[in-house]
Amino acid sequence: MKIKTFLLAFFTLFTVATYAQEQKMTDNETAAFRQSVNAVSKKIQSLSTDFTQFKHMDFLAKDIETSGKMYFKEPDKLLWQYKKPYNYTIVFKNGKILINDEGNKSAMDVGSSKIFAKLNKLIIGSVSGNLFDDKEFIISCFKTKDFNVAKLIPKDAALKKYIRQIELSFDKQDHTVEQVRLVESAEDYTKIVFKNKVQNAKVDDSVFTN
Amino acid sequence: MQKSTIPFLLTSLFVLVLLVSCGSDPVKNLTSAAISQSTYKAPYFSDSKTDYVYKTNISVYGNEMSGIFVVKRISKTAHRVVFTTEFGNKLLDFEISEKDFKVNSIVEELDRKMLIDTLVEDFRLLLRENYTIAQQFDSGNSNVLQARDGRNFNYLFVSKTDGKLTEIRHTTKRKQKISVTFSSENNIFAESITIQHYNIRLKIAFNHFKNQ
Repeated sequence: MKIKTFLLAFFTLFTVATYAQEQKMTDNETAAFRQSVNAVSKKIQSLSTDFTQFKHMDFLAKDIETSGKMYFKEPDKLLWQYKKPYNYTIVFKNGKILINDEGNKSAMDVGSSKIFAKLNKLIIGSVSGNLFDDKEFIISCFKTKDFNVAKLIPKDAALKKYIRQIELSFDKQDHTVEQVRLVESAEDYTKIVFKNKVQNAKVDDSVFTN
Repeated sequence: MQKSTIPFLLTSLFVLVLLVSCGSDPVKNLTSAAISQSTYKAPYFSDSKTDYVYKTNISVYGNEMSGIFVVKRISKTAHRVVFTTEFGNKLLDFEISEKDFKVNSIVEELDRKMLIDTLVEDFRLLLRENYTIAQQFDSGNSNVLQARDGRNFNYLFVSKTDGKLTEIRHTTKRKQKISVTFSSENNIFAESITIQHYNIRLKIAFNHFKNQ
Protein backbone atom coordinates (compact mmCIF):
# COMPACT_ATOMS: atom_id res chain seq x y z
CA MET A 1 0.00 0.00 0.00
CA LYS A 2 2.83 2.32 0.93
CA ILE A 3 4.53 1.64 -2.36
CA LYS A 4 1.32 2.36 -4.22
CA THR A 5 0.94 5.72 -2.46
CA PHE A 6 4.56 6.54 -3.18
CA LEU A 7 4.19 5.65 -6.85
CA LEU A 8 1.01 7.66 -7.14
CA ALA A 9 2.66 10.67 -5.49
CA PHE A 10 5.72 10.24 -7.66
CA PHE A 11 3.75 10.11 -10.91
CA THR A 12 1.52 13.01 -9.89
CA LEU A 13 4.60 15.08 -9.13
CA PHE A 14 6.24 14.01 -12.35
CA THR A 15 3.16 14.90 -14.38
CA VAL A 16 2.92 18.30 -12.72
CA ALA A 17 6.61 18.89 -13.34
CA THR A 18 6.26 18.03 -17.02
CA TYR A 19 3.19 20.17 -17.27
CA ALA A 20 4.95 23.12 -15.68
CA GLN A 21 7.83 22.76 -18.12
CA GLU A 22 5.73 22.84 -21.23
CA GLN A 23 2.16 23.94 -21.69
CA LYS A 24 0.09 23.58 -24.83
CA MET A 25 -1.09 26.93 -26.22
CA THR A 26 -4.78 27.65 -26.56
CA ASP A 27 -6.15 28.14 -30.08
CA ASN A 28 -6.08 31.92 -29.66
CA GLU A 29 -2.51 31.88 -28.32
CA THR A 30 -1.43 29.62 -31.19
CA ALA A 31 -2.97 31.92 -33.79
CA ALA A 32 -1.33 35.02 -32.25
CA PHE A 33 2.03 33.28 -31.93
CA ARG A 34 2.02 31.99 -35.50
CA GLN A 35 1.03 35.41 -36.80
CA SER A 36 3.92 37.10 -34.94
CA VAL A 37 6.44 34.56 -36.20
CA ASN A 38 5.22 34.86 -39.78
CA ALA A 39 5.38 38.67 -39.62
CA VAL A 40 8.98 38.56 -38.31
CA SER A 41 10.18 35.89 -40.72
CA LYS A 42 8.76 37.88 -43.66
CA LYS A 43 10.97 40.82 -42.66
CA ILE A 44 14.15 38.73 -42.55
CA GLN A 45 16.27 39.52 -45.58
CA SER A 46 19.51 38.24 -44.11
CA LEU A 47 20.72 36.64 -40.94
CA SER A 48 24.11 35.84 -39.45
CA THR A 49 24.59 33.95 -36.23
CA ASP A 50 26.99 31.77 -34.25
CA PHE A 51 25.73 28.30 -33.59
CA THR A 52 26.52 25.30 -31.42
CA GLN A 53 25.30 21.88 -32.48
CA PHE A 54 24.74 19.03 -30.04
CA LYS A 55 24.31 15.55 -31.47
CA HIS A 56 22.64 13.42 -28.85
CA MET A 57 22.58 9.63 -28.95
CA ASP A 58 21.44 7.77 -25.86
CA PHE A 59 24.34 5.31 -25.88
CA LEU A 60 26.99 8.06 -25.73
CA ALA A 61 28.32 9.46 -22.45
CA LYS A 62 28.42 12.97 -23.92
CA ASP A 63 26.73 14.79 -26.79
CA ILE A 64 28.97 15.43 -29.80
CA GLU A 65 29.48 19.18 -29.84
CA THR A 66 30.45 21.16 -32.93
CA SER A 67 30.20 24.90 -33.53
CA GLY A 68 30.65 27.66 -36.06
CA LYS A 69 28.96 30.42 -37.99
CA MET A 70 25.85 30.52 -40.16
CA TYR A 71 24.77 33.02 -42.81
CA PHE A 72 21.41 33.18 -44.56
CA LYS A 73 20.23 35.48 -47.33
CA GLU A 74 16.80 35.60 -48.95
CA PRO A 75 15.47 33.73 -50.78
CA ASP A 76 17.61 30.60 -50.55
CA LYS A 77 21.29 31.21 -49.89
CA LEU A 78 22.62 29.45 -46.82
CA LEU A 79 26.09 28.80 -45.43
CA TRP A 80 27.00 26.60 -42.48
CA GLN A 81 30.60 26.93 -41.46
CA TYR A 82 31.83 24.53 -38.79
CA LYS A 83 34.97 25.92 -37.17
CA LYS A 84 35.34 23.67 -34.14
CA PRO A 85 36.61 21.04 -33.75
CA TYR A 86 37.14 20.85 -37.53
CA ASN A 87 36.75 23.10 -40.57
CA TYR A 88 33.81 22.10 -42.72
CA THR A 89 31.68 24.42 -44.84
CA ILE A 90 28.44 23.60 -46.61
CA VAL A 91 26.74 26.13 -48.89
CA PHE A 92 23.23 25.84 -50.33
CA LYS A 93 22.63 28.15 -53.30
CA ASN A 94 20.96 28.07 -56.74
CA GLY A 95 19.92 24.44 -56.31
CA LYS A 96 23.49 23.38 -55.57
CA ILE A 97 25.33 22.18 -52.50
CA LEU A 98 28.97 23.26 -52.24
CA ILE A 99 31.25 21.65 -49.68
CA ASN A 100 34.69 22.52 -48.36
CA ASP A 101 36.02 19.78 -46.11
CA GLU A 102 39.36 20.93 -44.62
CA GLY A 103 40.32 22.35 -48.03
CA ASN A 104 38.80 19.58 -50.18
CA LYS A 105 36.11 21.17 -52.32
CA SER A 106 33.15 19.42 -53.93
CA ALA A 107 29.73 20.24 -55.35
CA MET A 108 26.46 18.46 -56.06
CA ASP A 109 22.98 19.22 -57.35
CA VAL A 110 20.17 19.37 -54.84
CA GLY A 111 17.73 18.73 -57.66
CA SER A 112 18.94 15.18 -58.14
CA SER A 113 17.51 14.21 -54.77
CA LYS A 114 13.95 15.11 -53.81
CA ILE A 115 14.66 14.33 -50.19
CA PHE A 116 17.68 16.65 -50.19
CA ALA A 117 15.54 19.45 -51.62
CA LYS A 118 13.06 18.94 -48.77
CA LEU A 119 15.82 18.85 -46.16
CA ASN A 120 17.29 22.00 -47.68
CA LYS A 121 13.94 23.79 -47.44
CA LEU A 122 13.56 22.55 -43.91
CA ILE A 123 16.98 23.82 -42.80
CA ILE A 124 16.37 27.26 -44.34
CA GLY A 125 12.88 27.36 -42.86
CA SER A 126 14.22 26.42 -39.42
CA VAL A 127 16.67 29.27 -39.47
CA SER A 128 14.29 31.95 -40.71
CA GLY A 129 11.24 30.66 -38.84
CA ASN A 130 9.37 30.29 -42.11
CA LEU A 131 8.23 26.71 -41.68
CA PHE A 132 4.58 27.00 -40.73
CA ASP A 133 3.20 25.12 -43.70
CA ASP A 134 0.17 23.06 -42.67
CA LYS A 135 0.30 21.12 -45.94
CA GLU A 136 3.78 19.81 -45.06
CA PHE A 137 3.52 19.44 -41.28
CA ILE A 138 1.20 18.72 -38.40
CA ILE A 139 1.95 21.72 -36.20
CA SER A 140 1.35 22.11 -32.49
CA CYS A 141 2.46 25.01 -30.29
CA PHE A 142 3.59 25.13 -26.66
CA LYS A 143 4.95 27.63 -24.20
CA THR A 144 7.73 27.09 -21.67
CA LYS A 145 9.30 29.45 -19.17
CA ASP A 146 11.87 30.61 -21.72
CA PHE A 147 10.45 29.96 -25.18
CA ASN A 148 7.46 29.62 -27.41
CA VAL A 149 7.84 26.20 -29.02
CA ALA A 150 6.45 24.92 -32.32
CA LYS A 151 6.53 21.16 -32.92
CA LEU A 152 6.29 20.04 -36.51
CA ILE A 153 5.67 16.48 -37.61
CA PRO A 154 6.42 15.91 -41.32
CA LYS A 155 3.53 14.56 -43.39
CA ASP A 156 5.84 13.39 -46.18
CA ALA A 157 6.70 9.71 -45.58
CA ALA A 158 10.17 9.99 -47.13
CA LEU A 159 11.11 12.98 -44.98
CA LYS A 160 9.64 11.34 -41.90
CA LYS A 161 12.11 8.47 -42.25
CA TYR A 162 14.92 10.94 -41.58
CA ILE A 163 13.23 13.33 -39.18
CA ARG A 164 10.40 12.32 -36.92
CA GLN A 165 9.81 15.79 -35.48
CA ILE A 166 11.23 19.30 -35.69
CA GLU A 167 11.03 21.51 -32.62
CA LEU A 168 11.61 25.23 -33.07
CA SER A 169 12.08 27.33 -29.95
CA PHE A 170 11.35 31.03 -30.45
CA ASP A 171 12.42 34.02 -28.37
CA LYS A 172 9.31 35.33 -26.63
CA GLN A 173 10.23 38.96 -27.34
CA ASP A 174 11.51 39.12 -30.90
CA HIS A 175 9.93 35.88 -32.24
CA THR A 176 13.11 34.64 -33.93
CA VAL A 177 14.38 31.06 -33.71
CA GLU A 178 16.71 30.44 -30.76
CA GLN A 179 16.99 26.66 -30.92
CA VAL A 180 16.21 23.89 -33.36
CA ARG A 181 15.80 20.29 -32.32
CA LEU A 182 15.66 17.68 -35.07
CA VAL A 183 14.33 14.50 -33.53
CA GLU A 184 15.31 11.35 -35.43
CA SER A 185 14.07 8.75 -32.98
CA ALA A 186 13.29 8.33 -29.29
CA GLU A 187 17.03 7.94 -28.57
CA ASP A 188 18.45 10.33 -31.05
CA TYR A 189 18.27 14.07 -31.82
CA THR A 190 20.33 17.03 -33.02
CA LYS A 191 19.98 20.32 -31.17
CA ILE A 192 21.26 23.57 -32.65
CA VAL A 193 21.49 26.66 -30.45
CA PHE A 194 21.92 30.10 -32.05
CA LYS A 195 23.85 32.94 -30.41
CA ASN A 196 24.83 36.51 -31.39
CA LYS A 197 22.17 36.79 -34.08
CA VAL A 198 22.32 39.76 -36.43
CA GLN A 199 19.28 40.41 -38.63
CA ASN A 200 19.21 42.23 -41.95
CA ALA A 201 22.80 43.44 -41.89
CA LYS A 202 24.42 43.55 -45.32
CA VAL A 203 25.63 40.07 -46.25
CA ASP A 204 27.66 39.99 -49.43
CA ASP A 205 26.93 37.26 -52.00
CA SER A 206 30.62 36.35 -51.94
CA VAL A 207 30.11 34.90 -48.46
CA PHE A 208 28.27 31.96 -50.02
CA THR A 209 31.24 30.19 -51.57
CA ASN A 210 33.20 27.16 -50.53
CA MET B 1 65.50 -16.47 -84.19
CA GLN B 2 62.18 -18.14 -84.45
CA LYS B 3 63.29 -20.87 -82.05
CA SER B 4 64.29 -18.56 -79.26
CA THR B 5 60.92 -16.80 -79.08
CA ILE B 6 59.13 -19.43 -77.04
CA PRO B 7 61.74 -19.76 -74.28
CA PHE B 8 61.89 -15.96 -74.17
CA LEU B 9 58.14 -15.75 -73.78
CA LEU B 10 58.20 -18.44 -71.12
CA THR B 11 60.93 -16.67 -69.23
CA SER B 12 59.04 -13.38 -69.41
CA LEU B 13 55.90 -15.08 -68.20
CA PHE B 14 57.80 -16.70 -65.36
CA VAL B 15 59.40 -13.40 -64.36
CA LEU B 16 56.01 -11.73 -64.57
CA VAL B 17 54.37 -14.37 -62.37
CA LEU B 18 57.26 -14.12 -59.94
CA LEU B 19 56.94 -10.33 -59.82
CA VAL B 20 53.18 -10.45 -59.34
CA SER B 21 53.33 -13.05 -56.61
CA CYS B 22 56.18 -11.23 -54.88
CA GLY B 23 54.27 -7.96 -55.03
CA SER B 24 51.23 -9.40 -53.34
CA ASP B 25 52.95 -11.77 -50.94
CA PRO B 26 51.56 -10.78 -47.55
CA VAL B 27 54.64 -11.86 -45.63
CA LYS B 28 57.20 -10.46 -48.05
CA ASN B 29 60.34 -9.23 -46.28
CA LEU B 30 59.32 -10.92 -43.06
CA THR B 31 61.54 -13.47 -41.39
CA SER B 32 60.10 -16.26 -39.29
CA ALA B 33 60.53 -15.89 -35.53
CA ALA B 34 59.65 -17.78 -32.36
CA ILE B 35 56.21 -17.06 -30.88
CA SER B 36 56.70 -14.70 -27.92
CA GLN B 37 53.06 -14.58 -26.81
CA SER B 38 50.17 -16.96 -27.46
CA THR B 39 47.47 -14.26 -27.34
CA TYR B 40 47.26 -10.55 -28.14
CA LYS B 41 44.78 -7.87 -27.05
CA ALA B 42 44.29 -4.95 -29.45
CA PRO B 43 44.01 -1.80 -27.32
CA TYR B 44 42.24 0.87 -29.34
CA PHE B 45 38.49 0.33 -28.90
CA SER B 46 38.42 -1.64 -25.68
CA ASP B 47 37.19 0.89 -23.09
CA SER B 48 33.42 0.75 -22.50
CA LYS B 49 33.39 4.24 -20.91
CA THR B 50 34.92 6.06 -23.87
CA ASP B 51 32.93 7.60 -26.73
CA TYR B 52 35.22 7.08 -29.72
CA VAL B 53 34.41 9.94 -32.11
CA TYR B 54 36.17 10.49 -35.45
CA LYS B 55 35.78 12.85 -38.40
CA THR B 56 35.74 10.42 -41.27
CA ASN B 57 36.43 10.62 -45.01
CA ILE B 58 35.45 7.79 -47.30
CA SER B 59 36.86 7.58 -50.80
CA VAL B 60 35.14 4.95 -52.93
CA TYR B 61 35.82 4.60 -56.68
CA GLY B 62 36.63 8.31 -56.94
CA ASN B 63 33.61 9.49 -54.94
CA GLU B 64 34.21 11.32 -51.71
CA MET B 65 31.96 11.16 -48.65
CA SER B 66 32.48 12.53 -45.20
CA GLY B 67 30.84 12.45 -41.82
CA ILE B 68 31.21 11.57 -38.17
CA PHE B 69 32.02 8.05 -37.07
CA VAL B 70 31.14 6.99 -33.54
CA VAL B 71 32.09 3.77 -31.77
CA LYS B 72 31.08 2.63 -28.32
CA ARG B 73 31.81 -0.66 -26.67
CA ILE B 74 28.42 -1.89 -25.46
CA SER B 75 29.30 -5.32 -24.05
CA LYS B 76 32.20 -7.71 -23.62
CA THR B 77 31.88 -8.81 -27.22
CA ALA B 78 29.98 -6.09 -29.09
CA HIS B 79 30.42 -2.51 -30.31
CA ARG B 80 27.84 0.00 -31.48
CA VAL B 81 28.97 1.74 -34.67
CA VAL B 82 27.21 4.85 -36.00
CA PHE B 83 28.02 7.02 -39.01
CA THR B 84 26.30 10.42 -39.33
CA THR B 85 26.60 13.44 -41.62
CA GLU B 86 28.21 16.60 -40.23
CA PHE B 87 24.65 17.86 -39.63
CA GLY B 88 23.98 14.88 -37.41
CA ASN B 89 21.70 12.84 -39.69
CA LYS B 90 22.32 9.19 -39.05
CA LEU B 91 23.41 7.26 -42.14
CA LEU B 92 24.03 3.89 -40.56
CA ASP B 93 23.81 2.31 -37.14
CA PHE B 94 25.26 -1.19 -36.57
CA GLU B 95 25.90 -3.49 -33.63
CA ILE B 96 28.90 -5.68 -34.35
CA SER B 97 30.68 -8.53 -32.62
CA GLU B 98 33.12 -11.12 -33.95
CA LYS B 99 30.33 -13.51 -34.90
CA ASP B 100 27.18 -11.40 -35.21
CA PHE B 101 25.98 -8.11 -36.54
CA LYS B 102 22.71 -6.27 -36.43
CA VAL B 103 21.63 -3.32 -38.57
CA ASN B 104 19.73 -0.92 -36.30
CA SER B 105 19.21 1.50 -39.17
CA ILE B 106 20.62 2.41 -42.58
CA VAL B 107 19.54 5.02 -45.13
CA GLU B 108 18.12 3.68 -48.39
CA GLU B 109 21.04 4.93 -50.50
CA LEU B 110 23.53 2.81 -48.54
CA ASP B 111 21.33 -0.24 -48.07
CA ARG B 112 23.24 -2.58 -50.41
CA LYS B 113 24.30 -6.05 -49.30
CA MET B 114 27.79 -5.80 -50.81
CA LEU B 115 28.44 -2.47 -49.12
CA ILE B 116 27.15 -3.67 -45.75
CA ASP B 117 29.28 -6.86 -45.97
CA THR B 118 32.38 -4.80 -46.79
CA LEU B 119 31.78 -2.35 -43.94
CA VAL B 120 31.10 -5.16 -41.46
CA GLU B 121 34.38 -6.84 -42.46
CA ASP B 122 36.22 -3.51 -42.04
CA PHE B 123 34.63 -2.68 -38.71
CA ARG B 124 35.35 -6.17 -37.35
CA LEU B 125 38.98 -5.76 -38.29
CA LEU B 126 39.05 -2.35 -36.64
CA LEU B 127 37.26 -3.38 -33.44
CA ARG B 128 38.40 -6.93 -32.77
CA GLU B 129 40.15 -7.17 -29.41
CA ASN B 130 41.31 -10.76 -28.86
CA TYR B 131 43.67 -12.69 -31.07
CA THR B 132 45.22 -16.15 -30.76
CA ILE B 133 48.68 -16.09 -32.27
CA ALA B 134 49.51 -18.92 -34.68
CA GLN B 135 52.87 -17.76 -36.00
CA GLN B 136 55.30 -14.93 -35.49
CA PHE B 137 57.56 -13.00 -37.86
CA ASP B 138 60.07 -10.20 -37.68
CA SER B 139 59.94 -7.18 -40.00
CA GLY B 140 62.97 -5.40 -38.57
CA ASN B 141 61.07 -2.66 -36.71
CA SER B 142 58.11 -4.76 -35.59
CA ASN B 143 57.16 -8.10 -34.19
CA VAL B 144 54.55 -9.43 -36.59
CA LEU B 145 51.93 -11.67 -35.01
CA GLN B 146 49.88 -13.86 -37.29
CA ALA B 147 46.35 -14.86 -36.26
CA ARG B 148 43.81 -16.87 -38.21
CA ASP B 149 40.62 -15.09 -39.21
CA GLY B 150 38.32 -17.78 -40.63
CA ARG B 151 39.96 -18.80 -43.91
CA ASN B 152 42.04 -15.62 -43.89
CA PHE B 153 44.84 -14.24 -41.76
CA ASN B 154 45.55 -11.09 -39.79
CA TYR B 155 49.11 -9.90 -39.39
CA LEU B 156 49.50 -7.57 -36.41
CA PHE B 157 52.51 -5.27 -36.54
CA VAL B 158 53.64 -4.42 -33.01
CA SER B 159 56.51 -1.94 -32.74
CA LYS B 160 59.63 -3.31 -31.06
CA THR B 161 60.57 0.08 -29.62
CA ASP B 162 57.33 1.11 -27.87
CA GLY B 163 54.98 -1.88 -28.13
CA LYS B 164 52.38 0.05 -30.15
CA LEU B 165 50.07 -1.71 -32.59
CA THR B 166 50.77 0.16 -35.83
CA GLU B 167 49.14 -1.97 -38.52
CA ILE B 168 46.84 -4.91 -39.18
CA ARG B 169 47.13 -6.63 -42.56
CA HIS B 170 44.16 -8.77 -43.51
CA THR B 171 45.21 -11.34 -46.10
CA THR B 172 44.23 -14.48 -47.88
CA LYS B 173 46.93 -17.15 -48.19
CA ARG B 174 48.42 -15.32 -51.15
CA LYS B 175 47.18 -11.77 -51.22
CA GLN B 176 46.78 -8.78 -49.00
CA LYS B 177 43.13 -7.65 -49.00
CA ILE B 178 42.95 -4.83 -46.45
CA SER B 179 45.34 -2.91 -44.28
CA VAL B 180 44.44 -0.92 -41.20
CA THR B 181 47.10 1.52 -40.01
CA PHE B 182 46.97 3.23 -36.63
CA SER B 183 48.74 6.23 -35.25
CA SER B 184 48.58 6.52 -31.50
CA GLU B 185 50.42 8.58 -28.92
CA ASN B 186 49.76 6.40 -25.91
CA ASN B 187 48.85 2.96 -27.31
CA ILE B 188 45.43 3.23 -25.64
CA PHE B 189 43.74 5.52 -28.10
CA ALA B 190 44.35 5.87 -31.85
CA GLU B 191 44.29 9.50 -33.03
CA SER B 192 44.17 8.58 -36.68
CA ILE B 193 43.35 5.39 -38.54
CA THR B 194 43.31 4.45 -42.22
CA ILE B 195 41.56 1.46 -43.75
CA GLN B 196 42.89 0.73 -47.22
CA HIS B 197 41.41 -1.93 -49.50
CA TYR B 198 43.52 -3.57 -52.20
CA ASN B 199 40.89 -5.53 -54.17
CA ILE B 200 38.42 -2.62 -54.43
CA ARG B 201 39.04 1.13 -54.63
CA LEU B 202 38.00 1.96 -51.11
CA LYS B 203 39.83 3.98 -48.48
CA ILE B 204 38.47 5.20 -45.15
CA ALA B 205 40.37 7.75 -43.08
CA PHE B 206 39.44 8.44 -39.44
CA ASN B 207 40.70 11.45 -37.50
CA HIS B 208 39.79 11.71 -33.86
CA PHE B 209 38.41 15.01 -32.68
CA LYS B 210 38.23 16.18 -29.14
CA ASN B 211 34.67 16.78 -28.04
CA GLN B 212 34.49 20.41 -26.85
